[in-house]
Amino acid sequence: MSRNARAPQVVRGRAAAAASVVAALSLVLAACSGGGDDGSDGEDPADGSPAELTIMVIKHPLTKPMAEMGWVSQLEERANVSITWEEVAADWDQKKNPMLAAGDVPDLIIGNNAITDADLSTFGSLFEDLSDDLDALPNVQALFEEVDGAESLATQTSGEVFSIPSYKRFWPTAITHQYINQQWLDTLGLEQPTTWDELFDVLVAFKEGDPNGNGQADEIPMDFAPVGTTGFGYFNPSALLGSTGLPISGGGGEGYFLEDGEVKNFFTDERYRDTVEFLHRCWEAGLISNEAFTQDYSTYQSVARGTGDEARVGFSWGWSGSDRFGPGVYEQYEAVAPLLAEEGQSAPVRWSYDFENLTRNAITMAADTRSKDAALRVINEFYSPDMSIQVLFGDIGPNVEQVSDTEFTVLPPADENLDPSTWKWTSSIADNGPIYLREDMEVELPTDLAEAVEDALPLEVAFEDFDVDTNVYPSLFIHMSQADISSTALNNTGILGVAMPKFAEFVTTGGATDQWDTYVSQIEGLGVQQNIDIMQTYYDEYMASK
Amino acid sequence: MKRHFARQWQLWAMLAPAIVVTAIFAYGPMYGIQLAFREFDFAAGLTGGEWVGLKYFQQFFDSPQFWTLMRNTVTISLTTLVFGFIAPIALALLINQVIGVRRKRFTQTATYLPHFISIVVIVGMLQVFLSPSTGLITRFLENFGITGVNFLGDTSTFVPVYVISEVWQHCGWNSIIYLAALANVDTQLYEAARIDGASRFQIIRHVDIPALIPTMVILFVLNMGGVLNTGFEKIFLMQNTLNLPVSEVISTYVYKIGIVGSQFSYSTAIGLFNTIINFAFLVGANQLAKRVANTSLW
Repeated sequence: MSRNARAPQVVRGRAAAAASVVAALSLVLAACSGGGDDGSDGEDPADGSPAELTIMVIKHPLTKPMAEMGWVSQLEERANVSITWEEVAADWDQKKNPMLAAGDVPDLIIGNNAITDADLSTFGSLFEDLSDDLDALPNVQALFEEVDGAESLATQTSGEVFSIPSYKRFWPTAITHQYINQQWLDTLGLEQPTTWDELFDVLVAFKEGDPNGNGQADEIPMDFAPVGTTGFGYFNPSALLGSTGLPISGGGGEGYFLEDGEVKNFFTDERYRDTVEFLHRCWEAGLISNEAFTQDYSTYQSVARGTGDEARVGFSWGWSGSDRFGPGVYEQYEAVAPLLAEEGQSAPVRWSYDFENLTRNAITMAADTRSKDAALRVINEFYSPDMSIQVLFGDIGPNVEQVSDTEFTVLPPADENLDPSTWKWTSSIADNGPIYLREDMEVELPTDLAEAVEDALPLEVAFEDFDVDTNVYPSLFIHMSQADISSTALNNTGILGVAMPKFAEFVTTGGATDQWDTYVSQIEGLGVQQNIDIMQTYYDEYMASK
Repeated sequence: MKRHFARQWQLWAMLAPAIVVTAIFAYGPMYGIQLAFREFDFAAGLTGGEWVGLKYFQQFFDSPQFWTLMRNTVTISLTTLVFGFIAPIALALLINQVIGVRRKRFTQTATYLPHFISIVVIVGMLQVFLSPSTGLITRFLENFGITGVNFLGDTSTFVPVYVISEVWQHCGWNSIIYLAALANVDTQLYEAARIDGASRFQIIRHVDIPALIPTMVILFVLNMGGVLNTGFEKIFLMQNTLNLPVSEVISTYVYKIGIVGSQFSYSTAIGLFNTIINFAFLVGANQLAKRVANTSLW
């Protein structure tokens, strides 16, 4: 019965080892996905009729079917192709590995880092090396010439270009922004906090002072996004690490960071311990949502949106005010600057540095594609200005207004019940698409993005004297060998298996200071230094070649 | 042999599709097991990598996660096995005592319906009911002075929550087979017992339970074969950073290492190890049953 079912899809046989699950999955996938490109058995058809392509797109669950997007037919027309879409909205990680292991790849794969560098180093031979096709890709060529780092991001250590990155130049440096309920502060006659201690006092006042004025103690002073079992991400309390001067990127990830050119891991750093102790202090005083560790993301989102015009959450992290707190109460919130860990500290404050304007591996082409020229034309079209903007924000007409060749205005949601970011993800493949927004394009941004840019202003102080070269690990530009990827991944599974539950334990029951030495030696025993050494070698090589 | 086929060919013909399906889908993929002893090399294919012997098994046994994984897997699956085995028997005996066909059918339907709820929904329900601030069950327990328990986020409550919800979901369904066995009991036995003045409990003890024993033994032996097979989906969905120390089990680890981390050989080795242990338990339980109860699978 279901108690015995093992892997998500197939095979319930008693003797089914993981091997047979993997093997059977690949058989099934091989059997299912072979049928996409019937009919075209060579290069472009001689009579000028459209070539047939199968394109797999990894999209957000909200995104509507590809066939309903207007730009898709424009794309087909301009590139003279007829596209069969394979749309994947869930469980891509589970589907991908069996698909690649079976060697069966659609003509093009689209998605934000859908095919990762690790995949490329293992399964590189499945993908077309585009470095000798750049003449057929003038738009990609322009991207490589104009955008710093785009070409090296696309190029493997051995020189191949298997995939093309995306570039959206309007994105702010950080994805996580920090918010406090200004209306509550005003009600209670308080100032915005600037240090952890002040934050603590403010949160206590939020909890006890009934700032939303409904007579109930239903205020949640602090809330954060559920912390995953495989590392930190956006909107996690790891954002507080910046207060101690510790520079993280991507929300923290697996703990690795670069400080003055030296690779380190914060799971064994004393500044991390202090941050965790502060969180424990808040937890003990009942200032953190008691569901912070067990709720799922949608609960986290809906709780902060309050009831109608009554806010529930005092202090939290999110992408933009309206996205995080919803149309009803978001105007009560203000973005706040990074806090100091303690007053008068010598270490400058930092913030998570997330490169989201240049993202890797947006589109890859199969090596054995039957209509190579057609596939190249499609790639080139994606990176043209008016196509890129439609892929990102939706169709010209309902979603975007084209003012001139280079000027665009992103329109507000046609559906009044949706906020701009939900609307964007519903209308098009958005950030999952291959996109190039050029320097000479003028775009009037949608309100959520404009808002995020504005909410990032208080964070500027953290980036003022920030040296990207020595304080951000350039993982984007580093291509590790297969053996190094394997061994670091294996170590990381072990390290995170200990560190993440310990984080939850330290915050909820405390003990970080008392157990620190045992904990650190445990993490060290799991190979953290080995990973640091590997990453340091790659970093040094990268800097030397820069 | 020839005579056997000449006489029984109809039976073999009926069995043939099942044999083919088993061969293709259960035994065929087993050639992939060799991956556990090879270095998986994509370019060379499933059977092309270099032999590395027991390297990956060694890696697993040496891994600091090994004992935690074993402990968690054994705890969760043994508790589920024991309670999941006893509960349907008790339920079947109870339902058998319900008087009136209609009432009996209703009880039976009500207890086996949860079996059809999908795991995702079950975990969603658990999350809603057990939420520390708004959960139905949490609020209810507050009336009895039990406060401040975060059922899904506490290492001491994770296993009970898992097992109880598992038993609740499946015991109605699993009791059907026992009810069938009880329906087969000769009514004369009941009448004779009643005439001899046996009470309800005595009837259950001396008539019903002996009638169930053969079924119990067979099901127990079958369940033993899955002793380390904890349900992947439910545990994976219930995992969070707070309960990870007790909720990381072999199957979730294989998923993280193998499917997400692309370490195919390593995860095959762990999966194979899991299967071998299950197989050993199956054989052991069968031997035991043969000796003790004189009933066995083979």
